[in-house]
Amino acid sequence: MSGAMKRFRVMAIIAGVMSLLLWFVDLPVVYLLNNDDWKSMVAWIPFVHGWIYAAYVLTALQFATKARWSLKKTVWLILAGTLPIASFAAERRVVRQYS
Amino acid sequence: MTQKSSFLTKLGQVVAVLLVTALFVALGLWQLQRAADLKESLKVARAVDMNVVPLESITSPRQAIPPSALNRTVSITGKYIANFKAANQKDGNGVIQDWEVALLQVGDRSAILIVRGLWSERLLNPDIAQSMDIQIEGLLVASQDGDRARNQPGEISRLDSAVVTSLTDLDLFDGYVVATSEATRNQSLERTRVVPEKLQSRIPGFYWQHLSYVVIWWLMAAVVVFLPFYRRRVST
Repeated sequence: MSGAMKRFRVMAIIAGVMSLLLWFVDLPVVYLLNNDDWKSMVAWIPFVHGWIYAAYVLTALQFATKARWSLKKTVWLILAGTLPIASFAAERRVVRQYS
Repeated sequence: MTQKSSFLTKLGQVVAVLLVTALFVALGLWQLQRAADLKESLKVARAVDMNVVPLESITSPRQAIPPSALNRTVSITGKYIANFKAANQKDGNGVIQDWEVALLQVGDRSAILIVRGLWSERLLNPDIAQSMDIQIEGLLVASQDGDRARNQPGEISRLDSAVVTSLTDLDLFDGYVVATSEATRNQSLERTRVVPEKLQSRIPGFYWQHLSYVVIWWLMAAVVVFLPFYRRRVST
């Protein structure tokens, strides 16, 4: 359980950082600014975010299974990785509940 | 009754797992198709065919340009019927300038946008009358997607026949031609020509990016299938 929790915590923080980059750097550059050079500079963000989020989902599923969470709670934990800040909040909640 | 509801619950779970798995597999297949499409369109974008062909032999008005017609050098004869400024256009060297774009009537019923050159040189050929036949050679390019400026009288926001449809009854060709030469019956029209921007695929992203998304979606499908067994193993 502690190993699964550690893995989840690490991935929650990394996924949170990537979500912040995606929402507040990549999306404004792509959809609000008309600058091809900037667009190519941020092209790596959605790509890396996709992989990080996949790893986050795996660690979240392992943690939720070991903690015997309900399906509803597990789905919320998975969705937390898609929004900026939400995965940080999920990580803090898990730490408060299980430390 | 309890047995029946337990069976129905299990059946529901199996159906849900199968549906989610099918969804993830389908998303993986979609990304695989996009990767293949991207590879194909890049092949078209890199090919430069220097043979000059008549425009109407490779594309038709009111139809999307076939991929095989993109980046071809075409010849057209027609009359200029309107002139526009296309602001903030980037050429193949990355230089952003305002371009002069004209609508060329081809035959009786159709028209296409022609990039003639720089807007600053639009007064170089004052002797060109709108009734005059002009022979043009140039590169056929796909319409632009994003606006570079605002649409206003005498100005178009992007090089796309869709933005001039309300100004003419003629059938418009998709895409536009970047002129490399213009000539009347008597003379060749000399002016600085625009270097076309390097052609890119219209499918966003990179080939390996799409392939990696295939791996992610199919990994998720495998996780959904494996998860019920994993939950059972953890609970025993």
